[in-house]
Amino acid sequence: MLEYIISKYNFWVYVILLLIGLYAMVGKKNLVKKLIGMNIFQSAVILFYVSIGVKKGGATVPIFLGNAHAAHGHGHAIIDVASYINPLPHVLMLTAIVVSIATTGVALAVLILIFRRYKTLELDEIMKIRKETGV
Amino acid sequence: MIWQLDLILCIFIVICAVAAITIKDLLAAVIILGAYSFFMCILYTGMGAVDVAFTEASVSAGVGTVLFVAAVSKTKRRSKD
Amino acid sequence: MKVIAIAIILLTGGLLIYGVEDMPGWGDPDSPASSHVSPKYIKEALGKTATPNMVTAVLGDYRGYDTMGETAVIFTAGIGCILMLRKKRKGEGD
Repeated sequence: MLEYIISKYNFWVYVILLLIGLYAMVGKKNLVKKLIGMNIFQSAVILFYVSIGVKKGGATVPIFLGNAHAAHGHGHAIIDVASYINPLPHVLMLTAIVVSIATTGVALAVLILIFRRYKTLELDEIMKIRKETGV
Repeated sequence: MIWQLDLILCIFIVICAVAAITIKDLLAAVIILGAYSFFMCILYTGMGAVDVAFTEASVSAGVGTVLFVAAVSKTKRRSKD
Repeated sequence: MKVIAIAIILLTGGLLIYGVEDMPGWGDPDSPASSHVSPKYIKEALGKTATPNMVTAVLGDYRGYDTMGETAVIFTAGIGCILMLRKKRKGEGD
């Protein structure tokens, strides 16, 4: 039973983080809170992808150890696959982190424009003003 | 990674996430989001993803927090929920 | 609003927890993600790119066009922010 919990609890924590972000995006009325929820959602997905590449049992970070130049010179070096972590999820998530900060920046710019026009950031007040003035 | 340490970090991260979406002061929520990103960075280092860890620390915890603080300073600091 | 949100997250959470049962265990070295494509990259990255760091080898050499497109994304986001937040000149509408 403990073995099963140890091998699965990380995924449950990722699911909980994703649900916290989803709840903030759907249930909260403040627009900054919605953006914070979007950030939490994105980082939960990124954490899940990075955890796919983890290998237990003696695997280290994906950087070649020792005589890298000598191995390159001779062409064929013996590289043990089981001693390095899978690098592909890391690469994809590097791109995802930078794109997520770009989307956050554009969203904050739109939020400042909304505040300049409506003088509030609460979604229900914005919808009320829109209904009254018809804009 | 030692699984007890991993579990404690995961609990800290969940507490930070819950605090960031429940606090009514938006500046405090944004700073807690930065702390959340740094905890996430420790977790990445424990998983062996060092490149992702320092990208997260510089981009998401640094630039992201600066952008959020700038936006909150241009708008209102109080939130209703 | 709150009731709808809680119903949505309960539905999504139930589906995701149900899906976790079929995932391989956390850190399993024989999981499908670590046994099909990535051994090829780990074996060939040093000989083909002469870079000791596998992550930057894949990011800069194998997926160089992807990184260039990412730069275009950042550029577009920055231009969008500048165009939205600039001060309007006189006579320019809204």
